[in-house]
Amino acid sequence: MIRNYLKIALRNLSRNKGFSFINISGLAIGMAAAILILLWIQSEISYDQFHEKRERIYEAWNKAHFSGKLQCWNTTPKILARTVEKDLPEVERAVRVNWPRSFLFSIGDKRLTVAGNIVDTGFLQMFSFPLLKGDPKTALNGGFSILLTEKLAQKIFGDEEAMGKTIKLDNKDNFTVTGILKDLPNNTRFKFEYLLPWGYLVRVGEDDSSWGNNSTRNYVLLKENASLASANEKMKVLKPRYDKDDDPAWEMFLYPVSRWRLYSNFTNGKEDGGLIEFVKLFGVIAAFILLIACINFMNLSTARSEKRAKEVGIRKVVGAQKRSLVGQFIGESILISFIAAVFAILIVQVALPSFGQLTDKKLFLDFTDIRFWLFAAGFIIVTGLVAGSYPAFFLSSFNPSKVLKGTFKAANALITPRKLLVVLQFTFAIILIICTAIVKQQIDHARNRESGYVRDNLVYHFLTGDLDKNYALVKNELLSSGIAKSVTKTSAPITQGWSDSWGFEWEGKDPNDKTDFDRYSADESVTTTMGLTLIKGRDFNLKEFPTDSLGMIVNESAAKVMNFKDPIGQIVKDGDTKYHIIGVIKDFILQSPYYPTKPMLIGGAKGWFNIIHFKLNGSNPTADNLKRAEAIFKKYNPEYPFEYKFVDEEYAAKFKAEERTGTLAALFAALTIFISCLGLFGLATYMAENRIKEIGVRKVLGASVTGITALLSKDFLKLVMISFVIASPVAWWMMHQWLRDYPYHVNIQWQVFAFAGLLSFAISVLTVSYQSVKAAVANPVKSLRTE
Amino acid sequence: MIKITDLEKVYRTDEVETVALNKLSIEVKEGEFVAVMGPSGCGKSTLLNILGLLDDPDSGSFIFNGIEVAKFNERKRADLRKRNIGFVFQSFNLIDELTVFENVELPLIYTGVKPGDRKKRVEEVLDKMQIMHRRNHYPQQLSGGQQQRVAVARAVVNKPKLILADEPTGNLDSSNGNEVMQMLTDLNEQGTTIVMVTHSEHDARYSHRIIRMLDGQTVLENIMV
Repeated sequence: MIRNYLKIALRNLSRNKGFSFINISGLAIGMAAAILILLWIQSEISYDQFHEKRERIYEAWNKAHFSGKLQCWNTTPKILARTVEKDLPEVERAVRVNWPRSFLFSIGDKRLTVAGNIVDTGFLQMFSFPLLKGDPKTALNGGFSILLTEKLAQKIFGDEEAMGKTIKLDNKDNFTVTGILKDLPNNTRFKFEYLLPWGYLVRVGEDDSSWGNNSTRNYVLLKENASLASANEKMKVLKPRYDKDDDPAWEMFLYPVSRWRLYSNFTNGKEDGGLIEFVKLFGVIAAFILLIACINFMNLSTARSEKRAKEVGIRKVVGAQKRSLVGQFIGESILISFIAAVFAILIVQVALPSFGQLTDKKLFLDFTDIRFWLFAAGFIIVTGLVAGSYPAFFLSSFNPSKVLKGTFKAANALITPRKLLVVLQFTFAIILIICTAIVKQQIDHARNRESGYVRDNLVYHFLTGDLDKNYALVKNELLSSGIAKSVTKTSAPITQGWSDSWGFEWEGKDPNDKTDFDRYSADESVTTTMGLTLIKGRDFNLKEFPTDSLGMIVNESAAKVMNFKDPIGQIVKDGDTKYHIIGVIKDFILQSPYYPTKPMLIGGAKGWFNIIHFKLNGSNPTADNLKRAEAIFKKYNPEYPFEYKFVDEEYAAKFKAEERTGTLAALFAALTIFISCLGLFGLATYMAENRIKEIGVRKVLGASVTGITALLSKDFLKLVMISFVIASPVAWWMMHQWLRDYPYHVNIQWQVFAFAGLLSFAISVLTVSYQSVKAAVANPVKSLRTE
Repeated sequence: MIKITDLEKVYRTDEVETVALNKLSIEVKEGEFVAVMGPSGCGKSTLLNILGLLDDPDSGSFIFNGIEVAKFNERKRADLRKRNIGFVFQSFNLIDELTVFENVELPLIYTGVKPGDRKKRVEEVLDKMQIMHRRNHYPQQLSGGQQQRVAVARAVVNKPKLILADEPTGNLDSSNGNEVMQMLTDLNEQGTTIVMVTHSEHDARYSHRIIRMLDGQTVLENIMV
């Protein structure tokens, strides 16, 4: 029986090549898209779920009021780890992980900059990062041991044994390799190539026991069967107990591993959305794309039911029961689903590298994993069932006495559900078109926003190694050689704010004012280097005004907040340091182009510095400029590589997340439209076949080709119109929600909807009219003779 | 073998009500060859569908082999049908995607005959119908006469007690038509009961008895000599 079914199914497929192509390719593309999305989702939800003790691992968080809002964040005092181990009986162990840090590694003549973490010795006993060599219990003991990932060890030592070798860090201290870590999986929040013991920080004097310095991450491992609630009760009162000076309402809490990746977005002290929203949204999109492909299958299978009706009739006459026919047709759709899945996996394999790039992830299909095959089988069967159940019940319910007499007309009987399915497809497609267009508008809107400074030819470099010490010499040579037109050192790159404070004081300040200012430092000619617009006063100029080292330039918003009649000459206190204002600049975008600019204070040369900015001389070729700049940097900072960054590239990176959203929306929109149009094309084909006699009669009676084309296309276009009417408000609502997250955003315009409507309309006209015209120009004599 | 009494069947659409069978009563004995004749729309096809258990009557009694089947559900009807009744249609109704062999094999699959036995029986019947040499061809590759022979082969492969033929020669030329009629006669002589709907007086002469219908009723019965 099965063999008979299989034979029929395969012969049907090969005989109706067009139908098979549309069905299988639509389903394969839909499946491939769904698989890609599922891979992404799987990667997201598996973040840090591989730690054996994940059920007991928590991160310590702060919760306190700032500017009238309850804020939550995950940097806590360094002293916290030892304190919870001492004070909370529920705690088995606590480890600190400092911010990722780059060191210059020197091994013989080899130099490379490597990023990693400095951690407490218990790190490897808490998290499951296995050591290929070395003992996890002792590898991080002492202050001079270092662990390398397998990849880094290979990069440094090649095939030589790395264990026991010495590496010099930042040209100061020698470290001995005491362990080789297995390379980190993709799905962890940790990104380190080396691990150093916390003892190193102690030795260089960077450890502290201040409760006010919330600067590290503390991870806590609870004992088995310990209660999180009772641990959190104790966490709540920890800060006020040890830090009497600060807000007594300041709380701390433990936040579980399972929620770090997807839920850790807090608004007013409560979890609020986060990545989980995207995971859900993408899940829905995956399901919808697959559903749309399944709808094609249903529509085409039922549309061509007349072709199968005879077979159903005969099978029933010779004794088939409805049940066995349902089984046959579902089996057939599972077979098609299987063939489509094979193609889908090929498509996924081809698309994975680009999709990985788009999502910034290393995604892959693990063919060695039994779960993959189980999932694949489940996926195929479910798709087959979804796609095949409706046609199966529809086809198997035919009355044999009618179909075998030839009086049977199924096509019209099914118009309504089929129309409904087409509407569903196009609604989804149009929603995606509208979303794509609005996301693109929003990106353009922010990108076209005046940044307030000139990004061309502006380069920055971290003040690594001896650069800070030799800054004057470097600056001098950059200028005198004609490489740079202007050089400024600053506290942070011009594209990022690294510091903010509400602690500034000035004359006439309202004591309750807690306005948060961006805090920045620059030594000289900051407006020239960056191309900022000076409104009042002047730039820093240490040669003519040595007191400019305590000068300050404020932006317009800051001047407004401080409410000076004439800001120039006014004193602003930052802690014990008194600055005097020498200039006012126009606001510029320091942080997000989607947010309003904040009030900003730029302190003079007395401040702290991390970055050197220089404006390249545009009359020389850039490559030439950089080559010569490298020589200068090498001369004064020989141990460190020359690692410059272009400001315009960094600025462009601010749009990456939204661009990704836009590209994905566009991709899904294109796929949905493509699959829907495949289906529409198939339907139009069968419609043209079914109405061939009607067309013949109409032509004999004098209908024109245009008239008939319009007649045939009209029905489908009506459906697209209905879809548009349904899709527009849904898309409006979705985009309204999305744009709420961006204070600086576009207004949704009616033109976008018109565009989406016209686009989908045009695409469907093209799809349908081919068949309509073909049917309309056919010779009626021929079509009438076929009856 | 067949006894129908006061059988009624009405087809309804929104606007029209068509009485297809109007209190029809007929009896067919085992081993008989009966022809049903009448103008288009007189209800002969409806009668054949009900006899073939493809359709159910609105009222009346239908006793098949001593069992009342008028109220059987679809599953029971299918079961009874596949074991006892073979069909021959005017338009052959072979499945285009299956070969001659596979078309004839189909009823055996549904009655659960083992593959080895199926092969034997299909070959037997193909041999008898003299189309063995065409066993691996598809229906489209055969002439009309050959297709109808395949259809007859399919109808008899399960050794049914009753064969229902709906204008079996309607799509054939006279020589092929005669051949098919001869086949049915042979089957009848070997004991199979045959009920045949036809427009052709010539074909009807092969039968034992002609039932003439009009407006869903029998109007005349001719016994052939």
